[in-house]
This record gives sequence, structure tokens and C-alpha cells, in this order.
Amino acid sequence: MLMCRDLARIASDYIDGELGPMDTVSVKMHLMMCGHCRTFIGNLRASVDLINAHSSQQLDEELVRRIDERVTESLNARNSGNGNSD
Amino acid sequence: MDTATHQSDEDILIHGLKSGNQSAFHKAVRLYTPGMLAVARFYLDHSAAEETVQDCWVTVIDAIQKFEGRSGLKTWLHRIVANRAKNHLRKAKREVSADFSETLDPELADRFAPNGRWATPPSLKTNESAQALLENGALSDCLDKHLASLPETQRSALLLYEAHQHKSDDVCNILDVSASNLRVLVHRARQKIFLMVETFQETGEC
Repeated sequence: MLMCRDLARIASDYIDGELGPMDTVSVKMHLMMCGHCRTFIGNLRASVDLINAHSSQQLDEELVRRIDERVTESLNARNSGNGNSD
Repeated sequence: MDTATHQSDEDILIHGLKSGNQSAFHKAVRLYTPGMLAVARFYLDHSAAEETVQDCWVTVIDAIQKFEGRSGLKTWLHRIVANRAKNHLRKAKREVSADFSETLDPELADRFAPNGRWATPPSLKTNESAQALLENGALSDCLDKHLASLPETQRSALLLYEAHQHKSDDVCNILDVSASNLRVLVHRARQKIFLMVETFQETGEC
């Protein structure tokens, strides 16, 4: 029988739909009987949503500026090189 | 003469990159650098990772001519970074070390009784949406702090899988890990964030 600790081990696989059919049924049966695990799965899912919403906003502007500079330099060097074909 | 009925944003961007268009590069750098950095950080320390990503972009100026669209642009860029980062690692004679043996975070593992039931169950139910939660600046800062303190391998796996929406197969290829090891990394990282959110909601502290 699936215990709470076992469920916690495979919770991400369940959330992502990566569990096999037998394990999925075991998790669903356990969740029907266990409020703590329902809360756990719900909160883990909320954490995943939070990571998605948060991480997509992250950008290191200073790094982007440095890359832009190097790319622009290289593009200019290439273009002037093409123009001076001697 | 309009032959192309529909060109995706990515096709337009790729066309701009192939033409050496500066604003296309600017757009692509903004769009793809965070994911490329997540890949590089899996293998390298912070400064070596930033350097590798910068070098990659310079390489891309010429390499993009050979891009045939067999994979998406994002996956192609991430593979270039991964290859460069692996070469860097090889030259430095170092290896990526990660613990794939335990699926449960130790802090969470301690919350179960010997019989496998919860001894300290999750107390509060998170009902608010992610966007609503993030409107709390302190929680957003706390999340930054905890994401930054994750082991690099866990953070890279998490970011590529969640934020950059790669398929598992692609992440496994880019990070050179098996599917089951990727699952461990992602699950361990998620548990850390789960614990952080729980503490924050209970105490208001990070």
C-alpha cells in the first residue's frame, strides 16, 4: 500500500503525468483518503506555478548589455570586412 | 506576391539573424540568454558560464547560417552552449557532480513518521494564484534567494524544464543526464521551493 512518504517521492512524476497507469491509480486512491497528501500535492503544484511565473521574468540586464556590445562589434567587424574585400 | 501565408515569429527572427540584423540579435539575446545561462551554469561556475554564453553569441553570428530548423532555435542555442561548456569542463579536467540517489529532500523526509505517514503534515493550503502570490514583493525576493541557493544542477534542470519549457528529452540531451536523474533533480528543486513557500506563508519570513 502506498504511504504518504512514498507519494511524496513520486509527487512530481504524478503532477507531470509521468507515472505509469498502476502508480497513477495508487496515487489517486491514496489522495481520496488522505487530506494531508491532497494539501501537499496542491501546494507542490502551486510552487511549480510560482517558479514558472517568476523565472520567466528574470533577465540579467548587465549581461545582456555586454553581449549586445560584443555582438554589435562582431557584426560591424564582419560587415566592414565584407566591404573591404581586397 | 505574397507566397508565405504565415511566418512564425521564430522564422522571422531566424531570418533576421541570418541577415546579420542587429535588432534581431538584440531581440534574440534578450529572449534566449536566461536559458543559455541556465545551461552553462549546470556545468560551470558563474563567471565561466557568463563568458561561455557571451562567446556563444559571437559564434552564433556565423553558425546561424548553418541552422536548418531541424530543432527549434532555443534548443539549437542551448545545445551550442552545452557543447562549449562541456569542452570548457574537459579542459579544466572537472566533472559535474550531483546527487541522484535520494528523491526526497532531507528536510521533507524528516517530516514523516517511521510508518511512512506524515508526522508534520503541510499546514496551510495555498489558494492564491502564482501571479497573486508574486505581487508580494517579499515573497518574490525570497523566491529569488532560494532559487539562487539551489545546487546548480538542480536549478538548471528546474529552469530548463519549467521556465524554458523544454521537453524532458531535450533537457536530458542538453544536460547529459538520464531521464530518471532529471526527474530527481527537478523534484528535489521543487521540494525546496515548496518548503520555502510554506515557511513564508506560515511566518511571513524568508
